[in-house]
Amino acid sequence: MKMHHICFAICLTALLGNSQSWASGDPKKGADVFAEECGDCHSVAPGKNKKGPNLLGLNGRKAGSVVDFSGYSDAMKQSAIVWNPERIDAYITQPRKVVAGGKMKYDGLPDAGARADVIAYLTTLK
Amino acid sequence: MSVLAAVQRRIQGHAGWRRIARVAGVGAVLCLAASLAQAVPSYARQTGAECASCHVGGFGPQLTPYGIKFKIGGYTDSDGKDGKIPVSAMLVANFTRTAKNVSEGDKVEHFDTNNNAAMQEASLFLAGRLTDNVGAFVQSTYSGVERKWALDQVDVRYARNLQLGGKETTIGLSLNSNPTLTDPFNTLGQWRFPYTTSDFNAGFGPSPLVESLGGSVVGANAYAFFDNSIYAELGLYETLSKTGLNMINAGDAGKFKGVGTYGRVAYFKDMKRDNFSVGLFGFNADVQPDRSDLGTADNYRDLGVDASYQYLGNRRHIFTVNASYVKEWQKLNYTFGNLAESDNLKNSLNQFRLAGSYHYNQTWGATAAVFDTRGNTDVTRYASSLSGTPNTSGYVLQADWTPWGKENSWMSPWANVRVGVQYTGYNRFMGGSSYLDADGNERRARDNNTTMLFLWTSI
Repeated sequence: MKMHHICFAICLTALLGNSQSWASGDPKKGADVFAEECGDCHSVAPGKNKKGPNLLGLNGRKAGSVVDFSGYSDAMKQSAIVWNPERIDAYITQPRKVVAGGKMKYDGLPDAGARADVIAYLTTLK
Repeated sequence: MSVLAAVQRRIQGHAGWRRIARVAGVGAVLCLAASLAQAVPSYARQTGAECASCHVGGFGPQLTPYGIKFKIGGYTDSDGKDGKIPVSAMLVANFTRTAKNVSEGDKVEHFDTNNNAAMQEASLFLAGRLTDNVGAFVQSTYSGVERKWALDQVDVRYARNLQLGGKETTIGLSLNSNPTLTDPFNTLGQWRFPYTTSDFNAGFGPSPLVESLGGSVVGANAYAFFDNSIYAELGLYETLSKTGLNMINAGDAGKFKGVGTYGRVAYFKDMKRDNFSVGLFGFNADVQPDRSDLGTADNYRDLGVDASYQYLGNRRHIFTVNASYVKEWQKLNYTFGNLAESDNLKNSLNQFRLAGSYHYNQTWGATAAVFDTRGNTDVTRYASSLSGTPNTSGYVLQADWTPWGKENSWMSPWANVRVGVQYTGYNRFMGGSSYLDADGNERRARDNNTTMLFLWTSI
């Protein structure tokens, strides 16, 4: 019983710790990261697509599902990804590793802090 | 046939350059500078991106890395939607005041000796994606100063992406009308600051051949962009026939003997927050100035270095620096040997340009630039120079306002306008602080100091 409690506590700590890494992202800094890294190809203005799909309301959205965006790769449409902070983080770290055959011409953002910031920014946009 | 007369007849593209050619004297330049101003909203409609994604300051032509890659990609990137019409239009109007009235001989036909307002350019563009791998940038312009239209720019490209050694690579072919038109950086002749100048401006002195051919040539270029960092381009150019030149109202640079060869390599590093490029470029051509007397040609060999830096950050405060240096070796076999209209068989020209800009919020811009052209002494060739050299130097200051061009701008991306004031100051003009104007009277370099107010709009 005691051992179960310890395991539960460790798992909870790990989960909370993970959540806190996203929560620690600064949306204000994330807006700047978005402008530097993402804004040329993606918009967060309602209904606006660029070379890449709109990212408004990305958290919880199925990959390849923006209805009026026709530029998705087959690989993205078939990826079965549902975007959440963890999946976004993995994707923007190494896009081609997560979606091999994807169209996004982006080498990835190695700075974990900057990723947390931009994810925090994106998750505030609904 | 007098080469001076021939050159003057041939220089039809730009009033300011035409005046330079006159003051420069016999065959000093083959200045066929094409229209400088370009802004093409059809690209924004095609990509869904705002003008500011591709252009520093929310208005063409200074390219960001996104714009550089769009151009290298053959103007074909899109938001995936069909039905975009690759057509744009542009209008440039200006008012120009020179420090001292120009002489009657330097006066532009149809205009006064000073304080001239003009609808300088009205352009129509075919600009955008034609097929998945073919795109175009074609500009035709009516000049309200020259009072005629011309086919200014042609750059039709095929481009495709592939993996080379495991690295993303873009390869392409371009059919074009100007050696530096194809370049993706804003350091070489066609795309360098100032992006618009008044046709009533005295100009920046003689230019190397690589940036003086305007639309008088046709080139086939192959290029590659390896791993988003190494750019290499090789082009072969041939002059158009007289019939071809007449059809598009282009100036005549003479006839090449053989082909002109253009080469370009650059290293580009895009770090998102900022980026830089360094490069080399060169051009070599044998020009027969008089089409009725072919055989002996003047040889022009240009070699240049260039560099650029951009700090983009979150796009609120943008700083850029662009620099280039070109040395031209001239071997005037025809001009010296056949016509004796040069003192030397061999001359040289050195051109340096530097421009730095700051833009706030993609709206307010300020740019400062210096220009410096030097050459060796040739009293016959540079007849208007009191020192016998073509040395011309000075600075350009510009402040501009671009209210739209951002993602949430009014009528984006249809409504685009830039309003600005530009001042050109001269330290030296054609050899020194004074030179001889077209009437043979001594004129101070600073008398050419020019203030221009401009309105530049495109849809």
